[in-house]
Amino acid sequence: MQDISLHLLDIIENSVRAQAALIKVRVILSPAENKLRIIVEDDGKGMDSDTLLQAQNPFYTSKAEREKKVGLGIPLFRQNAELTNGSFHMTSEPGFGTVLTVDFDLDHIDRMPLGNLKATLLGSIIGHPEVDFSIMLIYRERGKEQSFHFETAAIKEELGDIPLTYPDVIEYIDQSLYEGIQNTNMEDV
Amino acid sequence: MKTLADLKKIREKAQEDMKLRGGKVRIKIVVGMGTSGIAMGAREVMKTFLEEISNRNLTDVLVTQTGEKGLSSMEPVVDLIEEGKAKVTYGNMNPEKVKKVVVEHIVNGRIVSDYVVATGD
Repeated sequence: MQDISLHLLDIIENSVRAQAALIKVRVILSPAENKLRIIVEDDGKGMDSDTLLQAQNPFYTSKAEREKKVGLGIPLFRQNAELTNGSFHMTSEPGFGTVLTVDFDLDHIDRMPLGNLKATLLGSIIGHPEVDFSIMLIYRERGKEQSFHFETAAIKEELGDIPLTYPDVIEYIDQSLYEGIQNTNMEDV
Repeated sequence: MKTLADLKKIREKAQEDMKLRGGKVRIKIVVGMGTSGIAMGAREVMKTFLEEISNRNLTDVLVTQTGEKGLSSMEPVVDLIEEGKAKVTYGNMNPEKVKKVVVEHIVNGRIVSDYVVATGD
């Protein structure tokens, strides 16, 4: 994976596979604390502590249909965070869901770029109409904070039986995310 | 800023539209979004499908994402599912190929056999 938002997409897909109904994505960009933090919280089926440990092992996968039992998504994300002085924490509870928090040092020379956050979020929202997304982007600089909040449940309610793939709806979500990313200075991080 | 009032307008327009053509989904597109697919460019494939649907105003197409399907060596992989027809799986996709599939297969109904890696269920 070349950037953090690709890892984020991979994590969101894990939550979908865990049958989450609601996925909360928080991206916090804080130059004041020299930090870029990603939090993904889902209400999927969760994992017991053995499975949670195994999920961080590259030779484990929950994907039963796979012949080769390797799951590199989580271990690679962890490695990419830890190699750049960041941290990676995953907690989970069977029946309640999973929370992942990943921190990056903003100014670390080897930190991956955030990348195309908009493409990750747009594809996930539209590609999983059965899942609700709660997106929050927060930018923190000394003395000021800007945030962007996007709830897909409200949009779906407004749309009724109109699918998210309707062209004008794609444009609406795309434009909303674009504005949110601009306002929180996450375009070129 | 986009507001919910904008959505109301979209909804009204879309409902008119659906009345005219019966609200049927003609083609369902499924983009494989497992770890290896993502690493091979599946996000850009999804993005291009969404752009094409929006730009060409395709109102009878549905796009979803799904996990891995055991075709890791051919990622990114995309399924096109049409009612009453065999499923077509395209492999090794990229934005250029997506544009071609949209014009040829989705708009004009001609399968792009060069990119097909599997057919049937």
